[in-house]
Amino acid sequence: MPYHEFECSKCIPERKQHAVIKGAGEDLTSALPAGYLNTIPGSISERGCAYCGAKHVIGTPMKDVIHLSHGPIGCTYDTWQTKRYISDNDNFQIKNTFATDMKEKHVIFGAEKLLKQAIIEGFKAFPNIKRMSIYQTCASALIGDDIDAIAQEVMEEMPEVDIFVCNSPGFGGPSQSGGHHKINIAWMNQKVGTIEPVITSPYVINYVGEYNIQGDQYVMMDFFKRMGIQVLSTFTGNGSYDDLRAMHRAHLNVLECARSAEYICNELRKRYGIPRLDIDAFGFSTLAEGLRKVGMFFGIEDRAEAIIAEETARWQPELDWYRERLRGKKVCLWPGGSKLWHWANVIHEEFGVDVVSVYSKFGHQGDFEKGISRCEEGALAIDDPNELEGLEAMDMLKPDIIFTGKRPGEVAKKVRVPYLNAHAYHNGPWKGWEGWVRFARDIYNAIYSPIHQLALLDISKDEIPTDKGFVTQRMLSDANLSEEITSSTVLRQYTGKYDCLADLSNKTYPSFETDLADAA
Amino acid sequence: MDDLMKDRIEQLVDYIMKKCLWQFHSRTWDRKDQNEGVLTKTMQLLCDEPVELETPADRCYWVDAVCLAEAYKSRYPWLSTMNKEEIKQLMHGLHERMDYLTITGSLNLELTDQHY
Repeated sequence: MPYHEFECSKCIPERKQHAVIKGAGEDLTSALPAGYLNTIPGSISERGCAYCGAKHVIGTPMKDVIHLSHGPIGCTYDTWQTKRYISDNDNFQIKNTFATDMKEKHVIFGAEKLLKQAIIEGFKAFPNIKRMSIYQTCASALIGDDIDAIAQEVMEEMPEVDIFVCNSPGFGGPSQSGGHHKINIAWMNQKVGTIEPVITSPYVINYVGEYNIQGDQYVMMDFFKRMGIQVLSTFTGNGSYDDLRAMHRAHLNVLECARSAEYICNELRKRYGIPRLDIDAFGFSTLAEGLRKVGMFFGIEDRAEAIIAEETARWQPELDWYRERLRGKKVCLWPGGSKLWHWANVIHEEFGVDVVSVYSKFGHQGDFEKGISRCEEGALAIDDPNELEGLEAMDMLKPDIIFTGKRPGEVAKKVRVPYLNAHAYHNGPWKGWEGWVRFARDIYNAIYSPIHQLALLDISKDEIPTDKGFVTQRMLSDANLSEEITSSTVLRQYTGKYDCLADLSNKTYPSFETDLADAA
Repeated sequence: MDDLMKDRIEQLVDYIMKKCLWQFHSRTWDRKDQNEGVLTKTMQLLCDEPVELETPADRCYWVDAVCLAEAYKSRYPWLSTMNKEEIKQLMHGLHERMDYLTITGSLNLELTDQHY
């Protein structure tokens, strides 16, 4: 096994099994790190907890819901300022955050009364919201509060409301991934099948593992609407609580983030016979294939092809402009889970960058199988890295940019490596053809920002050159390009709007009214 | 199996590994079903044989198979020089290799977990 041992982790020998370098001629049977295991004591992990995975990743993107944490108020920290899963109801679910505010006395005497009071108070404070998710935390789990019983009591007293209970305390898994699993299964067991939807199309899907980061879901909904497909529910970005109770009536589950949401797809497949189709919606070629497959499944591939032709013609010259300037740049692809495989190959092929490392904070070995397969030879794969390993890897690999979360991202900035936020994005959405160009633009702006040149000079000791003018971003990026490229009249920089989502909300779509009658 | 066939199988494997997701479901039994479903239908498409589309699951395998067959035909011109028997032999070898890489030779310890 081509394990890689970090100098900084030699004092934690078990860490060696968590990093591999895929060498020449090696495949998955010889190069795969350990994964989804408890963090080794002594290694300062960047992971979140199982409560965080359940609530802050999967649960809270549901838009028309009071999301109540039964625990100390600090557990609700991740909200408006850290999360970017927006919604079309004025972002109710991230503008407002709720906790029962458990204190020491509740740990001693119990907090069930407090919980009931908070539930009722929440519904009274927001009378238009009739749905609630309650999240167990470490504190309420350890004292054994019966959240299900309290939720049932309230639902009997207030028949107009419906409450979902997620028992996924922070300690309930090696990482946030344990929470993904728990909330998937809990939603399936408690809520799916409890409401019957109105079917308006013969082509009905659940769009699963999509969290509407900076509007990704709006972009994808636009494509599905243009194809006449009814999206019964989105699990869970911009998703509606009651829509998600009706998931059992879809004809197809279109799955994006298999790391966080394959569980519910698998359950829907086994319990209701709804097949699962995995797609990649990041990238021109990959999204095209995803829409083509969904279209083929329903026999409406011509509608997908029309979208693919229109979008590609519109955006290809802009993607090509950036590719010419990003070619050969070295990337450390260090996201949380699924993006290590969603992006590993397509950014190489479509942006021209070289992925020199992939890592995952909470990925399973299955995610590394996908990610390592999609990387070129020589890439360093790391599971559950610690901060020192990240620094050592950057020193060894000399990347031009890192795609990661904001905690390791800020560390990268300190050693003058630019980073883009792989979880919440910089100037998203990054899905769709236009979104993919926006991602390319963000990479370009990060790598070629003149600040990196200026920051290398220390005005307290370095000699400041006075014979040279300010070097612009374009001067840096075009320095080694051919005249043919720099003066091309075909290639162009991004020409979309600052807010590329604004027009989607007013857009009209073909009615496809005859579809249902034809199907009947 | 001769070296030429092995080399061609590796080319087909490389495409699947870089471009597809269906081969990496999370459990052994699931991967067996996926490999069987998609690769059998791909072979049928490449050999102009009828493809069964009775169930929603069949249609799901079929859409991945159509994409794979089209990619193979456009990327690997040597495929058009092979007769149907040779294509079947090639696809059989591909199926065996994929089963090895994703199931029997896999280092993924979660594959045999009883639960999802």
